Amino acid sequence: MTDTSTPPASITPVVVRLKLSLLRNGLRQSGGRRAAYVASAVVALLFAALQLLGLIALRGDSHADSVVVILVAVLGLGWAVMPLFFPTGDETLDPTRLVMLPLRPGPLVRALLAASLVGIGPLFTLVLLLGSVIAVAHGAAAYVTAVLAVPLSLLVCVALARAVAAANIRLLTSRKGRDLAVLSGLVIAVGAQLVNFGAQRLGSSGLSQLDPAAEVLRWVPPASAVGAVDSTSKGSYGLAVTQLALSVGSLAAILFLWSRSLTKLMTSPDGSTLQSAEPAARDKASAGGLARLLPAGRTGTVMERSLRYVWRDPKTKAAWVTSLAIGLIVPVFNALQGTGSVYFACFAAGMLGIQMYNQFGQDTSAFWMVAMTISTTRDAYVELRARALALLLITVPYAALVTVLTTAMLGDWHRLPEVLGLSFALLGAMLATGAWTSARFPYSIPQGGHKNVAPGQAGLAWISIFGGMISAALLCSPVITLTIWSNVTANGDRWSWLLLPVGAGYGAAITYAGLRLAAPGTARRLPEILAAVSKG
Amino acid sequence: MTSAAVRVRGLWKRFGQQVAVAGIDLELPAGKFIGLVGPNGAGKTTTLSMVTGLLRPDQGSVEVVGHDVWADPVAVKARIGVLPEGLRLFDRLSGRELLGYSGRLRGLPGGEVDKRVTQLLDVLDLAGAQHKLVVDYSTGMRKKIGLAAALLHNPEVLFLDEPFEGVDPVSAQTIRGVLERYTASGATVVFSSHVMELVESLCDWVAVMAAGRIRAQGTLAEVRGEAPTLQQAFLELVGAGVRDHGSDLDWLGGGTR
Repeated sequence: MTDTSTPPASITPVVVRLKLSLLRNGLRQSGGRRAAYVASAVVALLFAALQLLGLIALRGDSHADSVVVILVAVLGLGWAVMPLFFPTGDETLDPTRLVMLPLRPGPLVRALLAASLVGIGPLFTLVLLLGSVIAVAHGAAAYVTAVLAVPLSLLVCVALARAVAAANIRLLTSRKGRDLAVLSGLVIAVGAQLVNFGAQRLGSSGLSQLDPAAEVLRWVPPASAVGAVDSTSKGSYGLAVTQLALSVGSLAAILFLWSRSLTKLMTSPDGSTLQSAEPAARDKASAGGLARLLPAGRTGTVMERSLRYVWRDPKTKAAWVTSLAIGLIVPVFNALQGTGSVYFACFAAGMLGIQMYNQFGQDTSAFWMVAMTISTTRDAYVELRARALALLLITVPYAALVTVLTTAMLGDWHRLPEVLGLSFALLGAMLATGAWTSARFPYSIPQGGHKNVAPGQAGLAWISIFGGMISAALLCSPVITLTIWSNVTANGDRWSWLLLPVGAGYGAAITYAGLRLAAPGTARRLPEILAAVSKG
Repeated sequence: MTSAAVRVRGLWKRFGQQVAVAGIDLELPAGKFIGLVGPNGAGKTTTLSMVTGLLRPDQGSVEVVGHDVWADPVAVKARIGVLPEGLRLFDRLSGRELLGYSGRLRGLPGGEVDKRVTQLLDVLDLAGAQHKLVVDYSTGMRKKIGLAAALLHNPEVLFLDEPFEGVDPVSAQTIRGVLERYTASGATVVFSSHVMELVESLCDWVAVMAAGRIRAQGTLAEVRGEAPTLQQAFLELVGAGVRDHGSDLDWLGGGTR
């Protein structure tokens, strides 16, 4: 019989030591990894230190409370989504590895939580939280609240990340989870744009912009704990207690949910068993219905496949979403700030036109299926044309929408036709050069990880994209010249609407010419293209 | 049938310093189940890639059912089906979508494609997984969906690179059944493998490859010759007969010590 009267030794120190040694051994594996870790630590801590200084400097500012609350809310959001996009970021604490050990959920949750507090991320968060409370705490009561609020917020953040990871571990270790991880670079890219825009806006119109958002967020944990410090400083003790209680309550709820999903994880078959037993997804009727609208034959077939890949293939999706986002953000945000010009709307067409580049590389070695069905120049032409059409199906409405939106925001309606014309001409030139470089300079896109070019093919990729873009700009020069002419000539404005049909017609003609020129090369070089896109 | 399904003359392929295929001549009869056997690295995949037009040879000519693969791709590509090894499929499509895509790309009418796809999925036991993405398929399922894509347009000659590699016995039996029915109708199957028992039980014609050259070709009986099994004949042909290692490894077995 087991002696139940003496409590078993706590596993917390064991798990913390495990995490430390895993970290150390990981760093020992390679110099590159060590350097990367040290560099990221230095950058993170420098950044944290600067933030800390900034927050201390903010002390006394009338909007300090809003800044701090939003900062902590963003921090909490970051912790919540991080495990979804960086599932391998902290494999040291994958609970499924402990599945063979006889552990109860209570001690396990405590031990994992303690171990989660070790690392750069928690340290970074701690520094920011310290800065936040320093910025808003005034008076003894507020200091006491701060002493409670900082560890509370930190625990909420860390527990949130763990709970999200545990609840989604099936997803994160599956193919879908790996697909999601490919999108993480994109989240950073678009997030950076948004932060950049937000910062510029704050710089131009002041911190008071933040107040409405902070009004709501001061009730959302973990920001509510920091909100409590602010409330105490202002003497609203009742409010402060409610806010603290909210944070404590949410921590308890998170820990409860986490422990429940841990129990479920440790007592049910693992993901690999379940995945194969998973019922097949049902046919999506909507896709079938829309597909019927596409033309018959090779054209419709290729278009359907291309469009499906935009949605289903993580690499293609990431590239598209980046193009769509940047194509929208640049003109619209610049217009919002009043620094824009309607001509920035051409950015949308330009960014989306890039998707025509390296068409066959996007297929990876599955290109053999295409190669087996191309026997003539005509086949190659139809294949390329269908891919261009699929792209246009998204690009034309999108570029038009962005242009109209930008024009509306700037009120520059008389320029709308010429900007649209310019966009279409640019799009046509991008499609033409994209088709040609796809055939002439294909390169492979490795599927795993964040690399977009296989080793040794970076030169090809540069030739393909930059050479192509410069050529596209040159090809556009007649329409650009016409646009400039209509703007500088005395009566030019009267004729500027003509630039819409001219630009669209020019774009269509140049696309046709580009596809015609690219087709013979494609048909002739099928084995070479297949070899180039199968690398890596 | 007297004509050859595949006729290869003086085929060469080098990758840098390494010679992958060193001037091979092959004449594969039509209407037969043909095995291309050889150890790993013998040049089987390179040869099949060149024969099917997926890899350009440095030298030499390939004719499939009387048409030159490089001079007359229209005639050849419509008449052959291919299941390559090591190349991906459009695996973000479901099984049914992939076959539909492949069939329509071949120019078959939509209704006919759908009919054939349904039958192929049934016969190959894939009907239950037809709406699952191919990326989530197991190895055996991938080989089967690849085989279905290769058969869809009813080719005259089918080239399969290692169709049984990594396939479970049940799927292997299914694949075998389909291929036997297909050759019985007069079509030709050329497949590569290094599993001799399989080749011996399936094929009526064999070509043995090693180090980029053809060591023997002919009917199963001709290639086997005096040897009791194809395995024995093969080992002798590729110069890897069972050597007597004498006292090497004499410590191995006979209880731990």
